[in-house]
Amino acid sequence: MTGPKPLLCPYSHSSASLLRRCCRAEDAGHQSGRVGGSEHRQDGGASPLPPPPGGRIPAQAELTALLSPLALCRLTQVRWSRYNPSFVEPEVNKELYRKPWDELTEEEKEKLELKAVQPIKAAPPAVSTSVFSDPLISKFTNMMMKDGNKVLARSLMAQTLEAIKRKQLEKYHKAPEDKKETIECNPYVIFHQALKNCQPIIGLSSITKGGKTYQVPVPLKDNRKRFLAMKWLITECRENKNRRMLMPEKLSQELLQAFNNEGPIIKKKHVLHKMAEANRAYAHFRWW
Amino acid sequence: MTRAVDAPSSLDSALAHKSVNRINPLKTVELLQCKTRRRQFKHETRDISGNTDIDRETQRKSELTFFSIVVRSQLPDYCYVCRRHHDDFKVGNEALRLIYTTTPVQIKNVGASGPEKYTEEFIKKQIEEFNLGKRHLANMMGEDPETFTQEDIDRAVAYLFPSGLFDKQARPMMKHPTEIFPEQRKIQWGEDGRPFHFLFYTGKQSYYSLMHETYEKLLNVQKYQDQLAAQDHLPQKEKKNLAGSRWLTKIELEEMLLEKLSDDDYSRFIQLLEKLMALTCVDMEEEHIQKFSKEVPVQLKKVVIEPLKYDERGVAFSTGEGTRKTAKATVVVYDNGTGKITVNGIDILHYFPVLQDREQLLFPFQFLDRVGKHDMVCTVSGGGRSAQAGAIRLASAKALRSFVTEKEVEFMRQAGLLTVDPRVKERKKPGQEGARRKFTWKKR
Repeated sequence: MTGPKPLLCPYSHSSASLLRRCCRAEDAGHQSGRVGGSEHRQDGGASPLPPPPGGRIPAQAELTALLSPLALCRLTQVRWSRYNPSFVEPEVNKELYRKPWDELTEEEKEKLELKAVQPIKAAPPAVSTSVFSDPLISKFTNMMMKDGNKVLARSLMAQTLEAIKRKQLEKYHKAPEDKKETIECNPYVIFHQALKNCQPIIGLSSITKGGKTYQVPVPLKDNRKRFLAMKWLITECRENKNRRMLMPEKLSQELLQAFNNEGPIIKKKHVLHKMAEANRAYAHFRWW
Repeated sequence: MTRAVDAPSSLDSALAHKSVNRINPLKTVELLQCKTRRRQFKHETRDISGNTDIDRETQRKSELTFFSIVVRSQLPDYCYVCRRHHDDFKVGNEALRLIYTTTPVQIKNVGASGPEKYTEEFIKKQIEEFNLGKRHLANMMGEDPETFTQEDIDRAVAYLFPSGLFDKQARPMMKHPTEIFPEQRKIQWGEDGRPFHFLFYTGKQSYYSLMHETYEKLLNVQKYQDQLAAQDHLPQKEKKNLAGSRWLTKIELEEMLLEKLSDDDYSRFIQLLEKLMALTCVDMEEEHIQKFSKEVPVQLKKVVIEPLKYDERGVAFSTGEGTRKTAKATVVVYDNGTGKITVNGIDILHYFPVLQDREQLLFPFQFLDRVGKHDMVCTVSGGGRSAQAGAIRLASAKALRSFVTEKEVEFMRQAGLLTVDPRVKERKKPGQEGARRKFTWKKR
């Protein structure tokens, strides 16, 4: 069959989290659990699906999720893709293939066997097995990109990482002997840590009830947290800088500040947390 | 002669004339016809005895036509339908005035009959004609009628009736009638009109009877299992390899049952089967389940890996071809190399100034840890810079299959190196600015 294949997009509410209330901020991070896996390419949603037309889902947990009444909700086709729905995402990480057969767990063996009969999608052009390709950095580069100019975005990213390395090396060489070990020079580590520090744990959602719109505190999913952190970083760097300052310099500055838990983005995160804390009273308005 | 007078009704207000006879429309009818025969009016009367039975014949006739309630009045005989005065639609001395009309129904309402039904004799005749025609065609082409296969028929028809139409289904074809006429169900009811199957009136008799059957089997297996458990004779469930088989798709199931199913129906059936599979003593119903499962061939086996070739110097090499968007690439990978890669006679450093493209070219080699061990000569055309890089990547991965063990080929496939990327630029649609972007919404 030629032509685009429709992708099924279930409702975004997962059956398991329907009954969860908005907990305290500390354990809100664990709540974005998924019930009912699927090897299909889906949007970030987590609902159980009816079984795919050509494949089987062996895990028992998924089976019970399938049999729940919510699984039979009508699916609306939202996005379609040139791939047949039975195609599975590729696994590029070399280390997973290096493991000898005996070391694999039962689950992994089963997964491998299943994969042997499933067709796999082509690896995207931005991904490779080299040590320099990092999914988080690629995502960030794509978000920084304007008008499809990937070359420019990538060069800016490279310059940023270089700038971070230079600054850290400068600090390293100036520091006394005992302090040298505490200074982190790997720009990738700094980037990851900075992004992690910027991620909010709890967010606000507008819910209209009885004519009035309330800002209700809501636990955020992992994808959403990452997105917010990256978005704040980029907007901060684009807006609050001098005319003459270039993006790599400003970005490296922000990243180093975020790495040390200072700076405007961390402040923004704290403000959001405070607002959520202030609106704690409306937490029960959330129904998911 | 007394005339029964009805209770005052809203009809009265519609009538201007005093001497109007109030009528209850659901009583006896009399057919009247206007001159142009465009409409027939049904007018109910009451006879002297007050007999209000509807004449069977008029009833039957009235079912075939629409009716209008008309009222006797002594107004001039204006026909609201033909918009003029009639002289012949008086009943006696009184004219009739149209006050209510139903929509015309010329023939009795027949239910939607569905796709055209073919009888068995018709199909048999078609098959005979096909076989005869096949022999004639073989004679025409000068070949032996006994050994004339379907491929020969297709070739002959393509030769005799060349067609430039793009759609293959629209071209002249000669196929066996079973391929052309879809398989249909015979009539599901007897001469008396009574259906044979007890679930006929559900509309999906095969589907529901299948569900009933499967559920019955499930209950039987559960009962048996409980009996065994009570006696502690429960056998251990052996984990069956689920990877090699799949359930029938919805379309295949529809073909099997000769009925249309909805997605919901299909998913319910599959859930029931899965439930059945989850039980321990399911082996007793194995054959029933076999009907609905199919073998899935291992993906790797579908493609044949070519063996290595050797050139004059004695160096092993292999070729590969790849495409991505509009770019086409052919690649020759030589063994015992230093990692030199040439594209269209130019070194990759000059041909692909962007780092991302070079990374893509090296991806298959890096994945297999063979970075400095092969030489590559590529020719590429079409597409843009990224598309050409992707095409060369696919071509080199395909070429490297010959150098590498089967397990590593499977790893390459699972890493997505051996799949053709089907994504192409989406077309622009009319009424929109681009493929997805709509025109700016203006309130006025």
